[in-house]
Amino acid sequence: GPDLAAEEFKPASKENSYEVSEYEIVLPGVSGTALQKNISVGSPTKVELTCKLDEKANLKNPQVTWKKGSETISHTSKTQNSWTIQLTISESSQLGSYSCILKGEVEVSATFHLQVPKIEGKERPIITYEGDLAVMVCKTEDAPVTWTWYMTSGTELVAINTSSHTNKFRIKRQSAKVNRLEILKLTKEDIGVYWCEAAFTLGSSKRRFELKVLSIMAPLKPFVAVVAEVIILVTTIALYEVYSKKYSKKKGGKGEREFDQIDQI
Amino acid sequence: PAPAEAGRAPGPPDGGWGWVVVFGAFVSIGFAYAFPKGLAIFFKEIQAFFGTSYSEIAWVSSIMLATTYGAGPISSILVNRYGSRPVVMFGGLLCGVGMISAAFCTSILQLYICVGFITGFGLALNLQPSVIIIGKYFLKRRPIANGLAMAGSPVMLCTLAPLNQFLFDNFGWRGSFLILGAILLNCCVAGALFRPIGAGTALVKTQVAEEGKDALKGKITEDGKEMSSALNVPMENKTEEEEGKDCFEKINQYLDFSLFKHRGFLIYLIGNVLMFLGFFAPIVFLAPYAKHTGIDEYSAALLLSILAVVDMVARPTTGIVANSKWVRPRIQYFFSFAIAFNGACHLLCPLASSYTGLVVYSSFFGLAFGMVCAMLFETLMDLVGAARFTSAVGLVTIAECCTILLGPPIGGILIDTFGDYKYMFIKCGAVMVLAGTFLFIMNYYNYCMLAKEEKERKTKEEDPKSVRTENEGRKNWNKDSTQDGPELEPLREEGEGVKKEMNGT
Repeated sequence: GPDLAAEEFKPASKENSYEVSEYEIVLPGVSGTALQKNISVGSPTKVELTCKLDEKANLKNPQVTWKKGSETISHTSKTQNSWTIQLTISESSQLGSYSCILKGEVEVSATFHLQVPKIEGKERPIITYEGDLAVMVCKTEDAPVTWTWYMTSGTELVAINTSSHTNKFRIKRQSAKVNRLEILKLTKEDIGVYWCEAAFTLGSSKRRFELKVLSIMAPLKPFVAVVAEVIILVTTIALYEVYSKKYSKKKGGKGEREFDQIDQI
Repeated sequence: PAPAEAGRAPGPPDGGWGWVVVFGAFVSIGFAYAFPKGLAIFFKEIQAFFGTSYSEIAWVSSIMLATTYGAGPISSILVNRYGSRPVVMFGGLLCGVGMISAAFCTSILQLYICVGFITGFGLALNLQPSVIIIGKYFLKRRPIANGLAMAGSPVMLCTLAPLNQFLFDNFGWRGSFLILGAILLNCCVAGALFRPIGAGTALVKTQVAEEGKDALKGKITEDGKEMSSALNVPMENKTEEEEGKDCFEKINQYLDFSLFKHRGFLIYLIGNVLMFLGFFAPIVFLAPYAKHTGIDEYSAALLLSILAVVDMVARPTTGIVANSKWVRPRIQYFFSFAIAFNGACHLLCPLASSYTGLVVYSSFFGLAFGMVCAMLFETLMDLVGAARFTSAVGLVTIAECCTILLGPPIGGILIDTFGDYKYMFIKCGAVMVLAGTFLFIMNYYNYCMLAKEEKERKTKEEDPKSVRTENEGRKNWNKDSTQDGPELEPLREEGEGVKKEMNGT
């Protein structure tokens, strides 16, 4: 189904230096797929989560409960068909899934998932060549506090320190939300898994990158094969043409009998 | 000597080696149109690698497209001078060199040059000569040949898209560019197939010197006007040179600027330049529009695949239909109808809200797109004739270059301003319906004028031969080569005029 996360509203007001973000799910009132919404929360903020019943729904005056796990949360009702909870998220334990459950003739529910922002990056292995440059880019929705890059040695993650490896690694901050690792002068030893970590006040998220380093020989083989094919074909065509010209000259008459005179208009 | 055989001005073969040439043109045209589109797969990675914005990467595509269309006149001049084969082979070499050097680029500027200019220019040297040589090998079956050759574009696109993805997943962008450079060298193979034709020109010239012009004119009337007037033009130029050199004539040998006085050419030029404003934008925005209406990425990509498959089938089919005896004499009307049909599809697109609706739209769009593309060059050949087509295609592509480049950005601006895709579809649809109507009306006028001129010429010819002086005869031939409506004469089964001339007056 369509991605509901696209329906985010802009924050309405600022209170206590925290901005309030409002999020809403509209329930159709028919029991079917459970509706979900993913909300990225990186730094402490206030959120208002609203469940709204569609006017066309058959459900009238339902019994409404808001829950996080097994814990019930008290809610307010702003309008006749909507129910809201207000949360102040200041600790990582407050992240999680909050659900509203409407009980009537049928039971419908919707869930808001409050999570640390995820990192976008390349999913497929990154393919580079010896002596070339490798680039890994991490992008988040909200700006994290710090970015850290790790390389794996054995089973452990070792943080990449650019000051000790100035000729090898470069970390560039393209913006607050985009961070970039450059690995220079690649060798086969650089093959492996790398991680980028974005640390937020409320937690951190990680992304995995796999780096493959090929030698120049790798693409050279298909390259040479295709060039050989081209040369063979061009030579064959040229030889065929010379041969057919000689043959028609031998047959007698002008050599330029390339067109069939029967086909004339 | 037997003048009947030696001095016979040969017509195009319409078969035989011609079908091999069609295959070569299929490959060459396919690369020229499909390759820039296929490169889009690499852009995201290259953008991340160089740390540039998306628009800076999009410039690579734009420069490539602009060079391919803008270098049209240069391509035409080279073909006029050297013939199709060496130009295509050189073009293939240039493309290969461009992409191979692109594999070693270290900045986005170098990519602009290697991929944008060098490869773009190489593709320009592929596109025009391939279309030109079809006109030299075919006359009666030319629409079919054109339709088949133009089908190369969707077929190549469907082949290149998964191939590029495969290369990218296994070799990264650098290795892929290297291998693609080698693959582009196959254009040289296509070019090798373009055996030069028109050796009859040399034959005709020597015969003219020996036998005198009247006898030759008689034979030419028998054999068919179009090809002969094509061969006559260089002959005419040579004799006029012998009398006294004309500077304008010399430039005209390389690029025929007198085409701008040609009524048919002007009609085609204006109509097509208008059409291209709305031609490519819907394809560019089809997938984003689908995603905008909530369709997932794979289904959106499927829409484009449906378009390509329908396109693939539509092009040769249109060629066959256009070749039939009912359509061929009125091919310009068919072309105008195809453009207007295209426009109508776009105008109706905003009404399609569901996925099924979009699938229907994609199918009809594919059909309309294929119809227009199959006849794009055929109609120009029909209007100006094979001889002047070389220059005509060069002049037309450079004029189209501007509107082709403007089309998608204007569409993009409309989408950004109104936040809705429907205005872009309406704009494209309206422009194309307008272009189609313009072409329809103007071609009706052109056909009437041509019929009138044909009547005048026939009444002149029915006069006894003694009245015809050499000068007057030459004037008539010049008129033929400028208007070239008579090209349709041998093909029209109606009209006793043809039969009369076939028997010789």
